Amino acid sequence: MGINEATTYEPKILAFCCNWCTYTGADLAGLNRMKYPANVRVVRVPCSGRVNPQFILRAFARGADGVMVCGCHPGDCHYTTGNYFTRRRFMLMKKVLEFNGIEPQRFHARWISGSEAAKFRDAVTEVAQVVKALGPAATKVTTQASSKAPASADIESSVQKEGAL
Amino acid sequence: MNYTEKTKLIQTRAAALLEAGEVSYVLGWGATRFADKTRARFARSPEEAATLVYNEHCTQSLAKYLVDDRWPETRIAILARGCESRAINRMIRDNQIRRENLLILGLPCEGTDAERCRSCRAHDPVVYDELLWEPNSTGAAAAAELSRYYRADAVDALSAAEKKAYWDDVYARCIRCYACRNACPVCSCRECFVDMHRTGFQGKRHSATDNQTFGVTRAFHVGDRCIECGECERACPMGLPILAQTQKILKEIEALAGDYEQGLDAAQDNYLGAFDLDDKDDFM
Ligand code: SF4
Ligand code: SF4
Ligand code: FES
Repeated sequence: MGINEATTYEPKILAFCCNWCTYTGADLAGLNRMKYPANVRVVRVPCSGRVNPQFILRAFARGADGVMVCGCHPGDCHYTTGNYFTRRRFMLMKKVLEFNGIEPQRFHARWISGSEAAKFRDAVTEVAQVVKALGPAATKVTTQASSKAPASADIESSVQKEGAL
Repeated sequence: MNYTEKTKLIQTRAAALLEAGEVSYVLGWGATRFADKTRARFARSPEEAATLVYNEHCTQSLAKYLVDDRWPETRIAILARGCESRAINRMIRDNQIRRENLLILGLPCEGTDAERCRSCRAHDPVVYDELLWEPNSTGAAAAAELSRYYRADAVDALSAAEKKAYWDDVYARCIRCYACRNACPVCSCRECFVDMHRTGFQGKRHSATDNQTFGVTRAFHVGDRCIECGECERACPMGLPILAQTQKILKEIEALAGDYEQGLDAAQDNYLGAFDLDDKDDFM
């Protein structure tokens, strides 16, 4: 990023796009010369069902400010049922992220078909705006965090505190 | 019946089984050098059966040991309370163990001195070959003092910023020993993602974020099959409140799909391993 990173903050957004629908949709957006924010980095996956919840956590830990998972509409999955599993998995994942102190607005899932180039553009634009407004994610691993290991006396007292919760 | 009488019953039955050669060993609890702690004990002879104990300090759930002996020469006898029996059901469903290798001695339980037992809704074993004493007469669900999701509820009550601070504090203390993974009876992959050093699924350094990535991933791998035994939390040497993670998953599954409890029988599907055509989604 630029020299004035602080003043010109641009979020990094990672989008997992299924090969058969959303990736083709993104391609079509390009062919049609549609404009959308350059914040998005597309990772092509064979099916939205390939996306492991850990990919999301890992993306946040390695500096992503927002993550999208996009696939075929229910019923249209190239592998027939892949996205039905995706649906359950990420409905749950959203709640788990929120529970873990990650703003739920940083994670989005969308069904975008191969012909919905405009929908892809709109989704990416919307997510980029939302995430930009939130600012940088606090989940990125920094080396300072390693000095956070507390002295054993702290551990004792906090373990007792935990017991009370 | 008090614990002394129950211990006697267990010892007598175990000795008889071992004497007759019906089982290769009896998996139960034995004393340690601390008066208020017990640990798993494998009684292999009638003499060893006399060293089995049973009391309110038997906080360890024994089921996980069964995967270490998948092909026993003769059957294994295991003492099973509610939590062990539900773990056994789930492990059978996951093809980890075989029912015919087990002789399940059911122990209707009154709860141990562990905190999680106060939220337990299934004290009586759900699968067994014989019961060693009468089941609890009162419905266990009604008797639970703590709510089913007590840990998750406590975290849910926090604001977004407090949640972040809470988990940062918890995971800054996690030493990534993976004891929580090892203790969990439903955690059964032959090769775990945390051990795949080459693929780098998992950062290796000590940072709260990497530790949390591990913790949340572990919870996600077992969450929809979690039988709520609390072994993960019991095993954690740092005393971290990690039961909250799987409780949250179960709580949300229940919100999405209605009544959900694992291990009640050996044929149950797990939520993430199945789907329904009209599952809810609030994304498009
Ligand atoms: S996640 Fe914890 S509570 Fe759930 S089955 Fe595993 S050890 Fe038991
Ligand atoms: S048992 Fe506790 S310290 Fe060990 S990896 Fe699990 S949460 Fe971390
Ligand atoms: S192939 Fe697109 S979601 Fe499965």
